[in-house]
Amino acid sequence: MNLHIINANIIVSIKSFYREKTVVFFRLAFPVILILVFGTIFMERDNEIFNLSIQDLDRTTSSEQLVEAIRLSRRFKITKVSPAVDAQKYAKTNNLNLIVIIPKSFEMSLMQAVLQKGESNNSGTPVSITRLYDPSAFGVSTKTGVLEMVLAGINQEMSGKPPLTLIVSEPVSILKKKYRFIEFFVPGIIAMAVMTASLFGAVNVNAELRQKGVIRKLCTTPITRTDWILSNVLYQFILALLSTVVMLLVSYVVFNVNLEINGWLVVFVALDVFSFVGLGMILTRVAKEAESAAAAADALMFPMMFLSGTFFPVEMMPEFLQKFARVLPLYYVNEGLRAAMVSVDHTAALKCALIIGAFAAVVFVLGIMITTMDGEST
Amino acid sequence: MLPTTKDTARNTDWRAMTQNCEYAIEVTHLTKRYKGFPAVDDISFTVRKGEVFALLGPNGAGKTTTVEIINTIRKPTSGKVTLLGMDVTKKKYAIIPRIGVLPQGFSSFDRITVKETLQYYSRLFCNPNTDIEELIALVNLKDKVKEQYKNLSGGLKQRLGIAVALVNDPEIVFLDEPTTGLDPRARREVWKVMLGLKKKGKTIFLTTHYMEEAELLADRVAIVAKGKITAMGSPGELIESNADYLVVMLKSVDENVFEIVQKMGFAPVYDSHGYIKIRLDHSDDVRRMLNTIREKGASFTGLDVRKPNLEEVFLKLTDETLQEGSIGITAMPCEHNET
Repeated sequence: MNLHIINANIIVSIKSFYREKTVVFFRLAFPVILILVFGTIFMERDNEIFNLSIQDLDRTTSSEQLVEAIRLSRRFKITKVSPAVDAQKYAKTNNLNLIVIIPKSFEMSLMQAVLQKGESNNSGTPVSITRLYDPSAFGVSTKTGVLEMVLAGINQEMSGKPPLTLIVSEPVSILKKKYRFIEFFVPGIIAMAVMTASLFGAVNVNAELRQKGVIRKLCTTPITRTDWILSNVLYQFILALLSTVVMLLVSYVVFNVNLEINGWLVVFVALDVFSFVGLGMILTRVAKEAESAAAAADALMFPMMFLSGTFFPVEMMPEFLQKFARVLPLYYVNEGLRAAMVSVDHTAALKCALIIGAFAAVVFVLGIMITTMDGEST
Repeated sequence: MLPTTKDTARNTDWRAMTQNCEYAIEVTHLTKRYKGFPAVDDISFTVRKGEVFALLGPNGAGKTTTVEIINTIRKPTSGKVTLLGMDVTKKKYAIIPRIGVLPQGFSSFDRITVKETLQYYSRLFCNPNTDIEELIALVNLKDKVKEQYKNLSGGLKQRLGIAVALVNDPEIVFLDEPTTGLDPRARREVWKVMLGLKKKGKTIFLTTHYMEEAELLADRVAIVAKGKITAMGSPGELIESNADYLVVMLKSVDENVFEIVQKMGFAPVYDSHGYIKIRLDHSDDVRRMLNTIREKGASFTGLDVRKPNLEEVFLKLTDETLQEGSIGITAMPCEHNET
């Protein structure tokens, strides 16, 4: 192992990197863009106010009081829909995911219900209002849940009795810091960004340089296989740390993320680099053309990205896909980073590190064994 | 401070031990097979120190395979190759610091400048004494020092490749088809550099399919075809030993000339310039042919009688014609015009 040779290779790799503007963009800016876009889309707002459309077909004092009561709950911004329009068509035309329709005989039915209750001291036949909703719309179930809560509150008030509160649930988070979607998302993006850069970096460097004949020339210099591989790994590690710092900086500045920064971050970034550089070396040897090696890398990378819990929790997937996710190396990088940065669970982080470390050792050693620096493969 | 590696110490020992070797390169019964097919078929030769030795042959003859085995890029199937007294299969890392290689289709990192490329390769050889400026001047790249590799023309890339091959001040320089794909002007620029190396007394091992390149640069030429050496010697020796005939060139506007010569029993052919080319064994045949043409009332406007050149010797020895293709010269089966 010659440190001067490794150093020379790293310098050339870094110069090649920052002089290729497209590569710099995709390596550094693209993950940041993902964080900004997804972080903004899924930003949680406390006491969020929902848009709600109401069509009052009754137009009586009681129906207007109901609308006012919903408005006073301060959970909805009310938009009135004209009684003359077809509510279903109106919802489709205006892309509305929920319309509350107060039926024509609402006041009469309500008075009957109140009278029935007064005579028999039972709750009586409840008065129905129609909830016209789009089940395919994202967030409609949340809005419906809030509406039900508001209506429950209105019902309680109308009953005239004080609310019976014998059992309440007090939320206590197991996490020390506030947890939002962005705290889930950032570690996943770090893992994904390091994976793609390491995998494609190894594939591009080896396959492309081999195809161009650069490796053939390097075979006639004192550089050994160990020097070559180590310099590639170190170069990828330096870039991985740089992109991680950029992603974390943006996340802190824009979203004020609550993530713990500790030594595990460096450990998982290093294991991520070793795993996917090793995998890249194997792919390069198996698929000698640069294009087919890149296609093979794509075929591995995309399923892993979406099934390893990078963009959404694995628990949201069907059972059989959850089992499949636990076979993927990126899953353990994601889980390990979240254990380290979100829940600060060192035991869980260690367990993930051992699993991904074993994988990294196997593929890396295999990659070294099959990588050659002689001309038979050039 | 540079680390003193075991290899560096070993190199010094080997350099002292191999200093008195007569031959820079010794190849003995070298064979290389790919799936049973012999790309190099039992060839043997030696190269003296300070000599310019050329392997001449068409594409697919086995030149590149031979040179890549000698300069340690590939391994032989059988046979022995020694460089400066060291077996290439056993002493690769002792040999490498003492040789410089311009491989076929040399390429470097696209985004690195000319100067940075030379610095990089110099660092690979851990050679602090490399005079980068001198190398740049040697290959005449002074005004391209800050240019990135991808912006260089083909000729400039090859000149840079030669400079890269010299960063470690090697004893032997391997140049594998250094002017293939270059225009005539670029080719001459590269020849100038190679003549400069020859003057410095470097041992140069050259592979080429350009006859004029071999004639101009080489002290000795080995003609290679289908993996075998068919002849070896200096260009003059090859011509003398194989040129037992004369080549007559006739420039004629009279179509009858071709027929007349054919009817005399000779085998005329038209060359690419429209000249009639005839191979004759004796000077008497020349006189007889010219007299017959005049007697028949035909005429010609130009006449040249000479001994065959290296290309014609090559064609005779390899029994092949050469056609310029888009990727270089390709050997093709010869349509015989000779009796």
